[in-house]
Amino acid sequence: VKRGVVMLVLLAAPAGAQEIYDILLKNAQVTDPANHRAGRYDVAVIGNKIARVGHDLPAAHARIAIDASPYYVTPGLIDIRTHFDSEAGGRNLQPDHHCLPNGVTTAVLAGAAKKMGPAKTRLLAFVEPEYAGGIENVAGILADERTLDRALKAAELRHTIVMFEGGEHSAEAVKRLRPGDIQTHMYSRQTPLAPWMREARARGVLFDVGHGADGFWFRIAAPAIRQGFLPDTISTDIDAASILLPRADMMTTLSKFVNLGMTPEQAIERATVNAAHAIRHPELGTLSEGAVADIAVVEVEHGQFGFLDSGHGRLPGDRRLRCVLTVRNGAIVWDSDGLSAPDWIKAGPYTNFK
Amino acid sequence: MRLVLICLLSVLSAGAILAQPFDLVLKGGHVIDPANGIDGIRDVAVSGGRIAAVRADIPATQARKYVAVAGLYVVPGLIDLHAHVFGNDSHLFPDDTALPTGATTVVDAGGSGWRTFEEFHRTVIAHSRTRVLALINILGKGMQGGEKDQSDTGDMDSAKTAETIQRHRDEIVGVKTAHFDGTGYTAIDRAREAGRLGGVPIMVDDKIFTNTGRTTREELLDHLRPGDIHTHMFNDRQIEMLDRFTGKLQPYMIEARRRGVKFDMGHGAGSFLWTVAAKAVAQGFLPDTISTDLHATSILAGQPDMPNCMSKMMLLGMSLADAVLRSTVNPAKEIGRYPELGTLGVGSGADITVLDLRKGVFAFKDAWGAKRLATQRLENAVTIRDGILVYDRDGRAFPVWSSAGEYEVIP
Repeated sequence: VKRGVVMLVLLAAPAGAQEIYDILLKNAQVTDPANHRAGRYDVAVIGNKIARVGHDLPAAHARIAIDASPYYVTPGLIDIRTHFDSEAGGRNLQPDHHCLPNGVTTAVLAGAAKKMGPAKTRLLAFVEPEYAGGIENVAGILADERTLDRALKAAELRHTIVMFEGGEHSAEAVKRLRPGDIQTHMYSRQTPLAPWMREARARGVLFDVGHGADGFWFRIAAPAIRQGFLPDTISTDIDAASILLPRADMMTTLSKFVNLGMTPEQAIERATVNAAHAIRHPELGTLSEGAVADIAVVEVEHGQFGFLDSGHGRLPGDRRLRCVLTVRNGAIVWDSDGLSAPDWIKAGPYTNFK
Repeated sequence: MRLVLICLLSVLSAGAILAQPFDLVLKGGHVIDPANGIDGIRDVAVSGGRIAAVRADIPATQARKYVAVAGLYVVPGLIDLHAHVFGNDSHLFPDDTALPTGATTVVDAGGSGWRTFEEFHRTVIAHSRTRVLALINILGKGMQGGEKDQSDTGDMDSAKTAETIQRHRDEIVGVKTAHFDGTGYTAIDRAREAGRLGGVPIMVDDKIFTNTGRTTREELLDHLRPGDIHTHMFNDRQIEMLDRFTGKLQPYMIEARRRGVKFDMGHGAGSFLWTVAAKAVAQGFLPDTISTDLHATSILAGQPDMPNCMSKMMLLGMSLADAVLRSTVNPAKEIGRYPELGTLGVGSGADITVLDLRKGVFAFKDAWGAKRLATQRLENAVTIRDGILVYDRDGRAFPVWSSAGEYEVIP
């Protein structure tokens, strides 16, 4: 039997050797919890798919080969709570330039956007209970205390989940959530860690960050994390009000958790595989061979930094996450450090330049 | 005894209030304020939305809010002379793109025309924290559709455009013509006529195909007035800035500058090329104004926000002080808003940007996607708009959460 396995491996190897990679990320610190991978790997993309995650994949076989040794390479991040709406007072808050530079390749809107131009970012939505449109991009039903009844009914009908926004009476309301339903704004001012949260978690209710302009307070999060009550998913709840001062973008939000004591791997897990499973898209949030090539390349910077919560209290920190490259559907859509770009001296004449 | 104590406390707190005449003090930064000849360590105080004092050693106790900015550069709020915040499909909203990158004023380059300016005002200008000014398009419908749509001379009405300028003097600072694909000089000349009637400069883009019967030389020397602005100056595909064979700066560029035509960077997704900019700058031809042409495409490609564009010019040899001059005083002057904008003069509106000049190895990409490595990069650290702190990368203006008690949202 053992010889048979070796034979198979030998047979498989030449097939791999004949592949031409469109993108090859060499010697990366791969964090792919869905496949229990945490360590040095090469990640190869062919077309719009992850082709191979392995060792010693030849750079000479790649159209674009990048030394990714200084970086984490993770599945494209999934932000399960965002507010991108082009009609919000003409603000035209577009997803791509907030998501892709943050390594976010899938964004879930809280409430269906009324008018949204074509985006490179994959867009899904939690919709209002009364939403009558198609199911294709629906991740679940949105609920506040007022609409929870209707939301639960709609979710039963559509065989989907509820995202509950919480409020003054979360402790009572959460009892009605089913396993797999999500309570967001878990570290809001109204919800210090309490037994009802652990009870709900034990039943399978998921707890999400939903940072935003009012959903994330260090004085709630820090003791909860110290006591082991970590988020199931880390989402930004980003909107026009939270971009500037608390800086609720994904990289800054993850950095806050890293400086509150979580490892980068723990933070990334909560914005990839956990998020994918929470919204019941297990095909996302993974670097499985054959999966759609959504990838984030992330640097952990060391230095003296500071981070704000929704109330503008400051958390001093010594690490900051920064996304240097994003692949979405096999295409490099963000490359802040020009990792895939030629040096201008070696670029030759600038030809075919429109 | 208790009464005495209360009296004493009231006196003390009244004293504390009296001792805090400033809303906000930026402490210990290196101030670069070209308009006032300041290039050194100063404190900057803000009160009632205005610059209240710029001097050494303003005690922190004199401020309600104090921001330690030692090691950083304090400059007038940056003015982006070429932005896109209305009109075409790829425009951005200014508050989430300009303010985090230190631009407190953006000039929308031709998104609106006389038919659409009211809508622009209602939907964007009125909702923005960023100061939004406009170069109004000579096309009545503004920057919409493809080049054919934007070449419709039937929709280029100088008189109606000038009327709109006169009605909105607070916001409209000039006329723009761009993407004109027809032959001749109709677009430029109609824009110039609107500019003459409205008393404002015009900004012209690079759309000068020789096969449409126009040349850069004619455009610059025969059709632009002193004070008019030529943007996308480093776009060598259409602007014949350098001789194609010798690489030498064309004499008419120098002649146009001598006559008072202004040259603007307008980086964007197509108009900043290392090969062109390096040669032009080496021959001493610098942009009068540094601007971004930031839009939904360019923001993901060359990322030409203001600190990025300034860093690129510094890579080519420009000093930081000079880059600040060309991002504050110069654009303010060109749009007739100096010294109202572009200075840290006492009494001016408090638009302030705090820049971090980071050391390391950084890559900067041009519009072709070629990179050039540099050992320093400007990054925005703090933005103050109209006296209010609106962006703070490291939260340096705020107390550590664990010692701040049960705080509500701290302003």
